[in-house]
Amino acid sequence: MHGNEPSLTSAEPEAILRLSGVSFAHGGQTVLHGIDLALVAGTLTTLLGPSGSGKTTLLRIIAGHLQPAPGTVWLGGQNATHFPPEERGLGMVHQHLALFPHLSARRNISFGLEVRGVPRREACSRADATLDLVGLEVTARDRLPDTLSGGQKQRVAIGRALAFGPKLLLLDEPFTALDRQLRQQMRGELKRIQRESGVTTLLVTHDQEEALGLSESIIALRDGRVVQQGAPAELYQRPRDPWLAGFLGDANLVTTGIFMRSQPGEVLLVRPEELLPGTRRDHGDGDCPLIGQAHSVSFRGASCLVTFEADGLFWKMLVPGENSPRVGDRIESILPATAGWNISRGCRP
Amino acid sequence: MNPGRVKAWLTAPALGLVVALVLPTVVVLLRLAFCRPAHGTGFYQPGSFTLEHFQRLFSGDGVALLAFTLGFALAVAAGVLLLVCPLVWPMRHWQGGWLLAGALLLLAPRLAGPLAPLVALKRVLPQGVLAAWLAEVYLILPYAALVLLGHLRGVDWTVLETARGLGARRSQVLRRIALPLALPGIWLAGQLALGWGLGAFLGPELLAGPAGRTLASDLHHQAFDNSRWPLAAAEGTVLLLLVGLVFLARPPRRWLGEAP
Repeated sequence: MHGNEPSLTSAEPEAILRLSGVSFAHGGQTVLHGIDLALVAGTLTTLLGPSGSGKTTLLRIIAGHLQPAPGTVWLGGQNATHFPPEERGLGMVHQHLALFPHLSARRNISFGLEVRGVPRREACSRADATLDLVGLEVTARDRLPDTLSGGQKQRVAIGRALAFGPKLLLLDEPFTALDRQLRQQMRGELKRIQRESGVTTLLVTHDQEEALGLSESIIALRDGRVVQQGAPAELYQRPRDPWLAGFLGDANLVTTGIFMRSQPGEVLLVRPEELLPGTRRDHGDGDCPLIGQAHSVSFRGASCLVTFEADGLFWKMLVPGENSPRVGDRIESILPATAGWNISRGCRP
Repeated sequence: MNPGRVKAWLTAPALGLVVALVLPTVVVLLRLAFCRPAHGTGFYQPGSFTLEHFQRLFSGDGVALLAFTLGFALAVAAGVLLLVCPLVWPMRHWQGGWLLAGALLLLAPRLAGPLAPLVALKRVLPQGVLAAWLAEVYLILPYAALVLLGHLRGVDWTVLETARGLGARRSQVLRRIALPLALPGIWLAGQLALGWGLGAFLGPELLAGPAGRTLASDLHHQAFDNSRWPLAAAEGTVLLLLVGLVFLARPPRRWLGEAP
């Protein structure tokens, strides 16, 4: 503990975690560049970025397994930069879960309590309460991790990180190894568990769908820098960066300038769902008709992503799955007057 | 054909060869151990039966010989484990060139054959049990190291980081996570060293002198110096049983921290 450091408790009463200028270099290469961020108590925040953006490194710094150089980690108002992992009181779920293979599901969960001096019997009873919370069947509780299914292992890993009442729950891409259906189910479960336990949660993921669907706040990371932090809708609809706009979902990024919307050189973001199917006759004041030929069609079940060429530009548009056109079909669509986001100016057109 | 059956077929020739080589030897050894010794130039009296060799082994000097052999073997196993654990532990994460260099460093002196290092030890150490013990530890160490390394490299050691993140101190991580996970490898390396120590021959023979005679070196003397083949066979049988028992032993479940 560094007693001469000022406490941030009064300045940021709700920030359970705060990073100030956190940098990290490895093998002569800078992985993180002066990260500043704050997590509000009780929220579920996602750290979103592509592979190699520094997400896991940042999580390991928060957990105390790596030391920032330079930078400060504040936990609940205390400078915890030099605290060892065992003194930080954080629960962490690793990408590969890292369950203790020689301990039963129950003993995995009671481990965090037992090492804190809670008697075995009480620790096991509290572990059972946690297992109830994460929804692990009674029959699976005395089994070794190797004999559990993927979903059951996830539940044990989350339960283990929650059982001792951590200040903050850190999850490092915990759903990566699961199939799509189980991943969807576990996302819902995580949301429920987080809501019921009220624990502040930081989830690392490279999955945009996961980040947008799960979190109250997203921190977008690229090449070791925070690109933007905000609510999912804010980042999706009003990104500050063309890369982020593309990373968060399908995007039309127009740089040639569109009449009344953007100047040449400015980047205009139009989401595929903002383009409406319709004919020249349907458009109103300020609407811009786009007519062209389908270049590619990607069927997605309920919807279909059509790429078409109009006025020398390629546009992506979502149409209902049952109206899926074929490549080469004539496409008529309308860019409504209110659609789009001028990334360069940071405003609606 | 299912993979299990394919594996069985592939293993069958090797297994058959081992059985064909070992089984007759063991049968002859057992038969010989219960024969009366021959008079004159013969090895044994065919068709005779006696328990005298075993009675001799489990009384008087025989017990002292057994006790010394057991004590020596335990000391070899302990010495090997004390050295091999800290030696191999950092190597569990090594990759590529570092791993190759480490493995070569462990094996290279051993590749020169057992006699070269023993002769060197004979030059630098006074004759005695300590020199024999050191020689046997040196001889088995590379094999024990490879066995332990093989096990340690198969364990996901991120669990140590996880354990610390859950609040465990370094000592708790070592006791509750690292040791139980490493134990199967340590146990196997210990079994190997103990089995080796029970059959220790070269070290005691070359470096210990008469004071450090083990079951294996006495077997050699009985067979080749005294021509008492049935006694040597009885000693061989006891040795075989002891080594078999060592390799059949399993660590207690609670040491492994298994689920209740």
